[in-house]
Amino acid sequence: MAASASWRRVGPIVLAVVVLLVVGTAALLQSPPEGEESLIHVSIKAEPLFDVGGFEVTNSMVGAVLASLLLLAGAWYVTRRSTLVPGKLQSVLELPVEYLANITSGSTSRWRSYVGLVIGLFLMILVANWLGLLPGVGTIGVVHVEEGHETLTPFVRAAGADLNFTLGLAIITFVTFVWWAVRVNGVKGYLLELVGQPRYMAPLMFPIHLISELSRLVSLSMRLFGNVFAGEVLLATMFALTTAAVFVLPLAFFVPAIFLGLELIFGAVQALVFALLTMTYITMGIDEHEGEHHEEATEHDERTPARPDHSTSASAPA
Amino acid sequence: MGPEGSADDDSHPESGAKPPPPNWGIVFDLGLRLGISVGVGLGVGLLLDNWLGTRPIFTLIGMVVGISAAMYTIWDVARDAMRR
Repeated sequence: MAASASWRRVGPIVLAVVVLLVVGTAALLQSPPEGEESLIHVSIKAEPLFDVGGFEVTNSMVGAVLASLLLLAGAWYVTRRSTLVPGKLQSVLELPVEYLANITSGSTSRWRSYVGLVIGLFLMILVANWLGLLPGVGTIGVVHVEEGHETLTPFVRAAGADLNFTLGLAIITFVTFVWWAVRVNGVKGYLLELVGQPRYMAPLMFPIHLISELSRLVSLSMRLFGNVFAGEVLLATMFALTTAAVFVLPLAFFVPAIFLGLELIFGAVQALVFALLTMTYITMGIDEHEGEHHEEATEHDERTPARPDHSTSASAPA
Repeated sequence: MGPEGSADDDSHPESGAKPPPPNWGIVFDLGLRLGISVGVGLGVGLLLDNWLGTRPIFTLIGMVVGISAAMYTIWDVARDAMRR
């Protein structure tokens, strides 16, 4: 009785695995014969799918929109059915939000002003990265012939594998932390910070500071793009290697799965790194000013100890 | 949630909450920024040289400034880390 009960549980899984093996093998045997170019390829730039009034829509845009819709649906579901004592699903969905809110809360006293951006960036990148690992993404599309070679244009591509997407996110981050620095320092203060001290070193220090600031923008965008794109290439290579000959076909069911698992971890790590760096940059902009003003206020107080203490409140940022 | 505090003690979402985990994102940032700083300096120098036809003056200057920016980045990140 116990054996039949356990078989009733395991049976459908075994059946599904067998069906997948048979169907997968049949599909793999239909791959192009030797001498013809494989359909698996990864283009470094996103491929256009169609035009909307002269505006080119690429497959990575579709990926980004799908990720946004998924997030919106998740947010709608959670906010409609949220309870004070969360259920299993609500706990899982709240876990990254709580984790990042906990980290961000230790950054500055103004963390509530930018915690939404940090969490939003994390969730968007996480969902976009993981969406790219779903079956069909990057593999289902339109086949067309270009210069005698058949190429596949997928309908959906991982949004992070397009530099435009990652650069867009990095620009949002860059503008935000510059805005915070300007808000706290003032335009003049921010520019003076770029010029540095002492002033006669400005011709040397200004380009150095400028390059250091720009390197944040480039490193944010290139890191995410590089990791996601490298992941795509790695998976495509593993699929191509394990389907190159009939005798290695059994490997096609195991080897790519290992790398898919790794890509799940890398996707989460990259999303976390992007969000944490956004928080760090904003924190540095706010902290630098607060530290400098605190020092200035302290020096001022030391010079004029008898005066009423309104200088500190005047210099405190709004 | 604990009782709402004033704006000054608004640093933790819950009163008595655990201290936040360390921010290790900065570790991933430093190495890449070093290379990018040199690359940006060199790239700007090459562009200026191509534009003005003065090769290799600005390329060398750009490289020196880029390397200096990389060193400054290390110092900046280390200073920020020590301050915390």
